[in-house]
Amino acid sequence: MFDINYTFHWNQAFRALPDMLAGAWITLQIAVLSMVIGIIVGVVLALAKQSRFVAARGFATTWIEIARNTPALFQVYMIYFGIPAVLQLVASWFDIDFRAMGINIFYLDSYWAVLVGIAFNNAGYLAETFRGGLRAVPDTQTRAARSLGFGPFDAFRLIVLPQMFRAVFHPMTNQMVWAILMTSVGIFVGLNIDLTGVTQELNARTFRTFEFFALAAAIYYVIAKIVTSGARLIAWRLFRY
Amino acid sequence: MKFPALIAAGSVAMSLVATTPVFADKLDDIISSGVLRCAVTLDFPPMGSRDDNNEPVGFDVDTCNDLAAALGVDAEIVETPFPDRIPALVSGRADVGVASTSDTLERAKTIGFSIPYFAFNNVVLTREDTGIESYEDLAGMNLGSVAGVFEAIALEEDFNEWDAGGSFRTFQSQADVFLALNQGQIDATVVTGTVAAATVNEGNFDGFVIADEAPYLVDYVGLITLREEYGLINYLNLFVNQQIRTGRYDELFEKWVGGGAEAPDLSVPGVYY
Repeated sequence: MFDINYTFHWNQAFRALPDMLAGAWITLQIAVLSMVIGIIVGVVLALAKQSRFVAARGFATTWIEIARNTPALFQVYMIYFGIPAVLQLVASWFDIDFRAMGINIFYLDSYWAVLVGIAFNNAGYLAETFRGGLRAVPDTQTRAARSLGFGPFDAFRLIVLPQMFRAVFHPMTNQMVWAILMTSVGIFVGLNIDLTGVTQELNARTFRTFEFFALAAAIYYVIAKIVTSGARLIAWRLFRY
Repeated sequence: MKFPALIAAGSVAMSLVATTPVFADKLDDIISSGVLRCAVTLDFPPMGSRDDNNEPVGFDVDTCNDLAAALGVDAEIVETPFPDRIPALVSGRADVGVASTSDTLERAKTIGFSIPYFAFNNVVLTREDTGIESYEDLAGMNLGSVAGVFEAIALEEDFNEWDAGGSFRTFQSQADVFLALNQGQIDATVVTGTVAAATVNEGNFDGFVIADEAPYLVDYVGLITLREEYGLINYLNLFVNQQIRTGRYDELFEKWVGGGAEAPDLSVPGVYY
């Protein structure tokens, strides 16, 4: 039997809508910034993974493996709680007590921890996407560009990269939506200003759990929808022949 | 023919007996099921935590056991983090919340509170190296607390009023707040005096100190259940009253908080309930 003894008070939730929308703005901010960083680092990682240098390949592989095969929550948690603990440990080996000196090198705000964590995750996923995209651009394109007088860097930048981005545009859109939804893990590292954080505070304060989370879900849905339709529009403008 | 009419009358009578009585409320349900399911928060020592054998212990756990004994049923502890207390009640996973729930007017719009069964004073908990010595020193520091709890709301209000920089962050459990304080992500938190004392005494975190009392109103906490369960709420009120009257309240306070302190006064002078 499933019966819920609960009367919905939607007006209470709608009254908090401005706060929740302000939270949604922070969510979008983190998602966009983490995506920009993720794309730049992702391209570098994709190239590093094909590099002749073992160290570069190893570095890229390690990053991608961790980013893709551990939970995003774990990654964000490690950046917020784990790295300060490691720094503290390393400092103690050298008998350095930063705290006694009044320096708090361990401090990392929740906002940045979430941004760095999700950028790390994005970069790992996007690197693999980009590697696939690069394979989709035939070698002959580079060779043709070089024979037309492009330098190796220009050939990559002007000929290969644009074609790669066309190939991976839709997977990138998916990653963007994923990044938006992933920001919700910030709640576990004290982020109380994004959409999930604001919603959880309202919930704890008023106990109108179901209204607030339903409204938050609807806002997430709308943001994700806007991003995917926007991307479709951009793709249509950008990639027509 | 009389016979079919007799069968019809008989079946109507049978169906009346077979269906559950219309007026069975939550109190009846608990008694007839033989089990009282209490939502208890287990990362909030000494109110609720787990012992070395991973068994739930604490003031709230004992209170739940007493309540079950009074009802003549078995107690079942449903571990419930602070933010999940209401979903646990509303979805029927628990019957009663014995989880240090501050009786705010805002929350009372959603759930039913008993009279206060405990009361907290709040203190400033910090690390030795922060130099924080009084509540006023918190201005401009990085602060944190558990999302939505009484002391978090009070601290955030002051944080906004000070407007002196720093940050205010909220976490999902008391344990995460202590971890953040330990690692320097926050410089101080405001937490109930009993929890602060238990944490400092346990010594799990080096360098934690109680700096000052926080100038907040007394944080009265009640037992909670669904708002419309008047029968159960009445029972809970009498139960709390009896706990105090029989001295069991003082006994549990001594057992879990102790240290020679007096159990907090649960009455508010100068006013009817």
